[in-house]
Amino acid sequence: MGFTRLFGTSARLKTGIEAQRGALYRLAFAWCHDAALADDLVQETQLRALDRAAQLRDPARLKSWLCSILANALRDHYRRSRAFENVDDLDEAVLADPITPETASDSARLAARVRAEVARLPLGQRQVVTLVDLEGCSYAEVSAVLSVPIGTVMSRLCRARVALRARLLDAAPGSLRPELSSRKIRIVR
Amino acid sequence: MSDERKVSQEMQCAFVDGELDRAEWARVAALLQQDEQLRAEVCDIRAVKDLVRHAYAPPAVARPGASRRTHWAAVAALCAVSVAAGWFARSAWLPGAVEVEHALTAGTSLREIAGDRILVHVSSSRRELIATALDEIEDALRSAQQRGHRLNVEIVANSTGLELLRADASQFPERLAALRATYPGFTLVACSQTIARLREKGVAVQLLPGVQVAPSALDQVVRRLQGGWAYVRT
Repeated sequence: MGFTRLFGTSARLKTGIEAQRGALYRLAFAWCHDAALADDLVQETQLRALDRAAQLRDPARLKSWLCSILANALRDHYRRSRAFENVDDLDEAVLADPITPETASDSARLAARVRAEVARLPLGQRQVVTLVDLEGCSYAEVSAVLSVPIGTVMSRLCRARVALRARLLDAAPGSLRPELSSRKIRIVR
Repeated sequence: MSDERKVSQEMQCAFVDGELDRAEWARVAALLQQDEQLRAEVCDIRAVKDLVRHAYAPPAVARPGASRRTHWAAVAALCAVSVAAGWFARSAWLPGAVEVEHALTAGTSLREIAGDRILVHVSSSRRELIATALDEIEDALRSAQQRGHRLNVEIVANSTGLELLRADASQFPERLAALRATYPGFTLVACSQTIARLREKGVAVQLLPGVQVAPSALDQVVRRLQGGWAYVRT
């Protein structure tokens, strides 16, 4: 990494990149479900971002720019690990999630259940649904971040949600729907 | 799913994500009024979206900028009620997610709130309070639109505040209709428990067009907070 260029990077950009750390980690974790790998990917993303600061023309696009660097970092990781003969198959990759709802403690049962189902989504769908739902990205931003057409963003998102709905809300036993609707809470004013 | 569906699943997703243009949004919103199945499907998409958000809720991170006041008593109270609810109580992320509460009083502006999602909780029918809230909401939505930003503002109403969303009682029906028509990111949610209590008393509650119903207002508030929304109480 060019340190001279790093010194040239505006303090504001560095602060901006650092401020996105939490969001990037959450996204990286949602994509790979591996805390250590997520940490590495975020560091790699931040370093690449600082190194390529000049590429960012519009500071308002910082977040989606960082997301696309993260997506590339993940792709590179899989490429290096030679887990895939053909990186084009990556979009269809699902995770073997060691945390199953059965083994999760009560305190994290629900979140683990949802994460386990997100892990079962093909990577392409997992990336789209988490960019939209966790990062609040617009479809156009997701399209730019992942370099796929908007139509693909929409169809992947739709398939992801249909699958999650079937597994989380419709599946019996274990549907969350009764839990979501039967909570009796009194509002006390 | 039949191929003749009036609103495709992709369209439903786009509706929930605020990705439709105004005309499409209005068409779906109108169909939602008549089509119970569609309503249930859209509601499920929202539920799935919220579940995903909650599943990866980050630990507490102090966010810089914007004047924020943290009301720990209110946070503690929310957590305590959540404990009673049982469901959220076991979720480790709650204290982190419920980090900020704003009180909407004279001198505070919604525009000062960082973030693009604001939940405004209305639990009183006091006219001047609600008028101030609506002024603030309109100001924030207009300002965001002028800057080309998308802002989501949701009003959740319960207790006597539900009056605002009742077709048979609201003091501001035209104002709400105009806001909804102008800003796709503006949504209205009523507390079903308040509705049930009123109906038990024999009140024939009719909601204004486009008002959605949540299991309870608190439920909606907690879910939104966990989803990263800023919470403003009138």
